[in-house]
Amino acid sequence: MERTSSQELQDDEFDPQEHQACYIFTPEGRNDRPSKRRRTVKSKGKQSEAEIALEFSDQCPFPVLLNGSESEETVKLRYEAYCRLWGEQEARTNAILDSFNNKTLDDVSEFVKNATAESYDGKIPTALILAGPNIASHTPLFEQLASRIRDEDRTGPVVVLTSKDATNLKSTLKKLIKDATQQDEGLDDEDDEVIVGRKGARLLNYDLQILQNWCKLHEGQKVIIAIQDTEAFDGNILSDLVSLFSAYLNRIPFVLLMGIATSVEIFHEKLPKSSIRLMQGDKFDVERAEECLAQIFNDSMVSDKSVLRFGASVCDFLLERYRDHTQSIQAFVGALRYAYMSHFYANPLSIILGFVDDLVNLKDVLTTEHVEAIRNVSSFRRFVERKLADSDIAEVSKLLEDDDHVRSVVAVSAAECRSYAIEVGQALLVLEIARSCQANQTRIPRYELYAKALSGELHGSTPIVRDLLLSMKKMNSSSLLNLLDKIAAEVQVPYLVENLLPLRESIRALVEQSEETGKTTLTSEFNVTKSTLRATAVSKRIWLGEQKSSLTKQDTEYSKLVQQVHDAAEAYFGASLKGLQELFLHELFFYDLISPHRDVFAPRSRSTVERALSHPQDYLGCDCCTTDGDDEEAGIKSTQPPASIIYQLYLESGALINIFDLWSAFYQVVGGDDGEDCDEATAQALFYRVLAEMRFLGLVKYTKKKTDHLAKLAWKGL
Amino acid sequence: MLPDELLTDELLSSINDRLPCRVPQLQRLSALIGDDDDYSPASIVVHGLEATGKTLILKSFLESSGSSFSWVPCHECVTTRHLVERIAATVSESIGIAEGATSSARCENVSVLAVQLQQILKESQRKHFLVLDRTDRQREAPPTLLASLGRLGEMIPSLTVIFIVSVPRPRFLSSAEVPHIHFAPYNKEESIKVLSKYVRRITKIPSEGDQGEEEEEEEYTEDDAKEELYVWEKFCGTVWDSLAKGAARNIIQFREAVDKMWLQFVQPIAKGEYGTRNYSSLYLLQKDMFRRETNVIDSVIPAAAAGKMAASKNHDLPYYSKFLLCAAYLSSYNPARQDSLFFMKANDFKKKRRGGGRGRPAKNRKIHRRLLGPQAWPLERMLAIFYAILPHPITSAVDIQTQVATLTSLRLLTKASATDVLEASTKWRVNVGWDYIRGVARNVKFDIEDFIAE
Repeated sequence: MERTSSQELQDDEFDPQEHQACYIFTPEGRNDRPSKRRRTVKSKGKQSEAEIALEFSDQCPFPVLLNGSESEETVKLRYEAYCRLWGEQEARTNAILDSFNNKTLDDVSEFVKNATAESYDGKIPTALILAGPNIASHTPLFEQLASRIRDEDRTGPVVVLTSKDATNLKSTLKKLIKDATQQDEGLDDEDDEVIVGRKGARLLNYDLQILQNWCKLHEGQKVIIAIQDTEAFDGNILSDLVSLFSAYLNRIPFVLLMGIATSVEIFHEKLPKSSIRLMQGDKFDVERAEECLAQIFNDSMVSDKSVLRFGASVCDFLLERYRDHTQSIQAFVGALRYAYMSHFYANPLSIILGFVDDLVNLKDVLTTEHVEAIRNVSSFRRFVERKLADSDIAEVSKLLEDDDHVRSVVAVSAAECRSYAIEVGQALLVLEIARSCQANQTRIPRYELYAKALSGELHGSTPIVRDLLLSMKKMNSSSLLNLLDKIAAEVQVPYLVENLLPLRESIRALVEQSEETGKTTLTSEFNVTKSTLRATAVSKRIWLGEQKSSLTKQDTEYSKLVQQVHDAAEAYFGASLKGLQELFLHELFFYDLISPHRDVFAPRSRSTVERALSHPQDYLGCDCCTTDGDDEEAGIKSTQPPASIIYQLYLESGALINIFDLWSAFYQVVGGDDGEDCDEATAQALFYRVLAEMRFLGLVKYTKKKTDHLAKLAWKGL
Repeated sequence: MLPDELLTDELLSSINDRLPCRVPQLQRLSALIGDDDDYSPASIVVHGLEATGKTLILKSFLESSGSSFSWVPCHECVTTRHLVERIAATVSESIGIAEGATSSARCENVSVLAVQLQQILKESQRKHFLVLDRTDRQREAPPTLLASLGRLGEMIPSLTVIFIVSVPRPRFLSSAEVPHIHFAPYNKEESIKVLSKYVRRITKIPSEGDQGEEEEEEEYTEDDAKEELYVWEKFCGTVWDSLAKGAARNIIQFREAVDKMWLQFVQPIAKGEYGTRNYSSLYLLQKDMFRRETNVIDSVIPAAAAGKMAASKNHDLPYYSKFLLCAAYLSSYNPARQDSLFFMKANDFKKKRRGGGRGRPAKNRKIHRRLLGPQAWPLERMLAIFYAILPHPITSAVDIQTQVATLTSLRLLTKASATDVLEASTKWRVNVGWDYIRGVARNVKFDIEDFIAE
């Protein structure tokens, strides 16, 4: 039936043109020519850049939220808040990134300045730059190096070569010569002199004599060749280049900079010994990426300058991804930016963030819709429930009914949220400083503790804090004073200033007192070792008593002060390190939506494709394929798409698949019991198409191992 | 065997003074090059291993005998055309032809070169020598290049082409009668003799005891020089016997080794603790130096400086990258059919095999797999092993693929087949050795030894 109809259709639509060798194709319904794209707006070219910028700022890329009831003005405010806050954050981040490599840059530029072939036994001066395995950071590093050496030091032209430039020796040399000779201020008249050889014949463009002539014109300039990714560089080309450089070294003062991502040993294995013999120099370490991460994290999450911060789960996700997968600062910064973007893009309440420093005006901006949205926030619910628990009924009804009241509460809570974030940051800083003063503590950077602190897992009785407090008790006077000095110098927390500084003064007085008797440090009585070799309980007690009695009067006095310091610190940590769950409006200040980040930065492409093929009903949502909850093992159905049927058959087969077996299994499914659902020709067409699709997906390939067989290439679940 | 009058004795002895132990080669050179009236062959081959003085001696001979020659270093030329143009330019410059004569035509291949050289050399009455230094290091040389360059001398009577090569293939100029001059490698005595040309001074280091006498500068007398030469020669001999004989036979490497060790060796003399004549006791004191091999291993960073920097920070790979590397290593060095034995979660298979033991030893003793080099594997197999060796399950995300790409661009993994990266049948291979992998595996607390096939 189907067949005849399709045949009829074909007969009807027989087009004589299809049998001509050449004809003009005119698509139907489009008889008139499309209007030519002419530049209708002529004034655009004349428009000044400022005007264009203005035009762009006028059209706000953010959508209207709150079911379209958000006013245009607030959308614009949201966009402006995003631009301003992210702009500030980005400037700070870039400043950190720029200054981060300063030490390495200094060292390398010093090396380049001093490098001459004579001081290295006639070998090429070579700096091995150990840049770490994070490839994304190499390009900025080498750009910084190049601009430093070229523009600030003016040591000479810098040519940065990457493995992409180096497909063969000739093109590499061409690029090298071009880059090196055109870097100075583009003096056109001398170009000819450079390229033309001694006898007036033009030199070939890959002839290093061009560079030699250039060097003659520019006395005292060194030619710095920076090879960014030595590992990926073709080994033969690299050794050819090195031997060429060494041959010309007496005429062109080359300096080599080699970027190494793995280790010097691997670099040495890559090149032949004869090339290694031609180089001599030093190696330079780039700061570890963790340091950079810590700095950026401290700036963007812990410092009091930032407004939007990560919540615990996003933070955990990003740090884990950093540690386990990428080790890339750039990825972290990208995630930070994405958090800013999606927060301001999709959350209408994010305008509140724009008014943190200007809470008075906030009330005028929040519309009724905004207030309604605030009432839908989950932390509002907890807030109200807490009020109910306090049986503050009047307040609750006001919150639920009076919009103006909510506006004022929001202003107060926003300030609270901000001060909470700052407090947590300071507490983490104090914790880090205190831990750094103790020798036996391993260093845990702030970014490891931040997420714990937010989720309320870091409090007075967690091991990290408890250990710290206990060892604080055992400190002798000099190290305790050192610790207090450091804390006083680094943080300005009113609570600590009030409580700890007087204690510091009295400890200092006590130490001065005891110095008169000749004892410079006071020991705390808590430091008396409890473990002894004494076997019996009585002798142990006697021994401990002896130890205690050896403490002087000042020591006892000091111990009391230590106890006070300990109590103050404990109270401080207890007060400032509490979770954010109790906080009203914490959703606005702590971005904690993990799924957008996961979908964007770590998508699971493979399992998605596999699931779509093996369980198409999950994506199609059609009635025919959806099985009931009970019989999940229903398996292959003829209603499923053919690709999915073949894929499921494919999963059941071995490494080599007999095509005929596959076909007969497929036809059995598609054609029903005796070919009633689908005739053989259609099924075959479908089968061929699906096989081609499987090949495109990289699941099968033709094999020569066995005739009429396909090789299975992919397993499920990898 | 050579007529004596060919040797301009004065000249030879002056060269010999600077560059000793090369008298026979010099005599042959002077016989073949001679002066302008003598006949010179169309081409000469000068051959000998690296650092045997070929270039230096030929150059100084040509310079001091006042012959007309042009010198073309072939290893500086990237292509044949580059070489040919360089030859034309150099020859015309050394002849001093007027400008404009050659610049009209570009020299694109050897035939054009022959014509141009004929024009250039037409007027000159003297013999001209064209020296092609390191001919065998010319890149992209077509097989006929050398032979055709050799013919230049036959076509132009006043031209002689001298090839400097390290090891000449038989009949590489496609003609039999080319005279060869061989520069044999220096043996021990000769090496020491050559090195005695640059004796390094022993700078006295005033010991802390006699600070007062510091002002009194000691005159550098002839006796001192003699003593230094004595120690130097003895020292060179010791270095040769202990290290250089096996590891640094050519003169440059030998000199480098001697240079590196000298200052440390003579430190006791410089401090005045030892005299110059009791060499044997000095040797006993410094015996340990000659046992270590650090001074003959080539490295970009000098060994002395490397020691200082040892305690620098090391950069780490991400956690899962390390496991990926381990998985890659295992897939390269384990046979694929044993994968189920090592990586199946169900352990019964393993037990059965172990209990049964090996029935009979393999007939032909197999070579250890680690010695056979890494085998190629498809990506799927490595990923399967990766998920099997992980201590805890993870969901596969695009990050794993990114890390494979990163490891490839770091050349810790390499692509083993010429197909596209995305093709599923593309094979890969690990590119690091056992020592590196063991360090990586220990770092993530993974007992890789348990998974390696014997």
